[in-house]
Amino acid sequence: MKKLIAVTLGILTAIGGFVDIGDLVTNALVGARFGMRLSIVVLIGVIGICLYAEMCGRVVAVSGRPVFDLIRERLGRRTGMFALIASFLVTLLTLIAEIGGVALALELASGVNYLLWAPLAALAVWLVIWRVKFSKLEQVFGLMGLLLIVFAVALWKLGPDWGHLMHQATNPHPTGHENWGTYAYYSIALFGAAMTPYEVFFFSSGGVEEKWGRSDLVTARANVFVGFPLGGLLSLAIAGCAAVLYLPTGIKVDTLAQVALPNAVAFGKLGLAVVLIGMFAATFGAALETALSCGYTIAQYFGWQWGKFVRPREASRFHLVMIICLILGILVLLTAVDPVKVTEYSVVFAAMALPLTYLPILIVSNDPDYMGEHVNGRLTNVLGLVYLGLLLVASIAAIPLMIITKAGQ
Amino acid sequence: MAGNVLHAQLHLQDRQLIDHRTGRLLGKVDDVEFDLDADPPVVTALISGGQRIPANLVVEVDTAVKVSNQDLDLDRWDDWVERKIITKIPGAGDAAK
Repeated sequence: MKKLIAVTLGILTAIGGFVDIGDLVTNALVGARFGMRLSIVVLIGVIGICLYAEMCGRVVAVSGRPVFDLIRERLGRRTGMFALIASFLVTLLTLIAEIGGVALALELASGVNYLLWAPLAALAVWLVIWRVKFSKLEQVFGLMGLLLIVFAVALWKLGPDWGHLMHQATNPHPTGHENWGTYAYYSIALFGAAMTPYEVFFFSSGGVEEKWGRSDLVTARANVFVGFPLGGLLSLAIAGCAAVLYLPTGIKVDTLAQVALPNAVAFGKLGLAVVLIGMFAATFGAALETALSCGYTIAQYFGWQWGKFVRPREASRFHLVMIICLILGILVLLTAVDPVKVTEYSVVFAAMALPLTYLPILIVSNDPDYMGEHVNGRLTNVLGLVYLGLLLVASIAAIPLMIITKAGQ
Repeated sequence: MAGNVLHAQLHLQDRQLIDHRTGRLLGKVDDVEFDLDADPPVVTALISGGQRIPANLVVEVDTAVKVSNQDLDLDRWDDWVERKIITKIPGAGDAAK
């Protein structure tokens, strides 16, 4: 019974934790421009993150070591450093976007400008990391993030022509003003949003924080194979809402208020309140995860003591890295750069860094030195290689497409 | 010699160093020092963060390398950051709740 509760809790947390500012903005933006015609990309992205998160979970449960710890051992110091720099910068950019998202959600709720909220949000993120136990911070914000299910309910309440949405989903190509360039560019953005590197850093380091052993493999797999796909459904609901409300009139989504609006249209003030709390929880939770991931990647590359399972003074460099990253985040946001734009770029840069993040996972999960009998099976390896090919294509095409489409315009 | 055959490049280079008593993470193996005159050549020390760890302080080589940190100071930079910055923040010594 206790086990069942733990598994259920893990799944619920995974659903709530799946959606972050990248998913919110990208899915709404894409829904408004392409309807459901990019749904297939979300589906491919979710399968990809499930595939690789399962490998990460298995590596942690069997070897007790998180991903980035092993990247350097397997790639060597130089390639490892290259992977570190790329993954770290993307995670830092994502952290900035998430803090901006928290500040924007607070602005929508309070009417007070987000620039005033940004430093407070960053300070609150630091305080939680400094004081609150790992399992607690993961659960509280994951469960609160479940409020985003309001998007699915709102979509149903808006009473769309389901056949029409289905028709869009089964016709994956651009129409109207859109062309294959913008279609491909936003495919890459959605891919980057679904498979953002910090997710695997956080997932595998979290496994160590929570002291996973072999007996926790079931829990880890349930989180991944049930929680993530349901989180992916939430992403589709966000796109669906935007498709119903904005696509027919040709309105482009470029603010967080527009992302939230369908819920207000469906349920009035109550809908707006629920979605704002959900967006706050989702972005705040992701800000915690990305801030921790900044610390995890650097500390694990250099072999420093890391983790919330020790007191802050015992992992002083790990905590210093996070403090510096949060200060950098505040400074960047105070330049009044648009957090929604930061988010749009962060998911595309995330897509570029993907092969460097995911190749070492595939290598390590095939290494009997670490894994013993729990190495990848053949099917996992075939799928893993197919995805690595996809990630490589997305990574190489990202910058040229960004230039050709002028970042999707 | 019947001991485990280890490939220095594969089993030592870039591995995690762990304090074998406390389990503390101490750094990575940046370099491996050999005595090439011996036959066969033997590993004489590991280098981490500019510090030399004599081979006799290596306790165990598994997926990580466990060493005895008693006569070494592999924690010095962590201690420095701790003294100068982290302990000045309230709650640095408290366990999370």
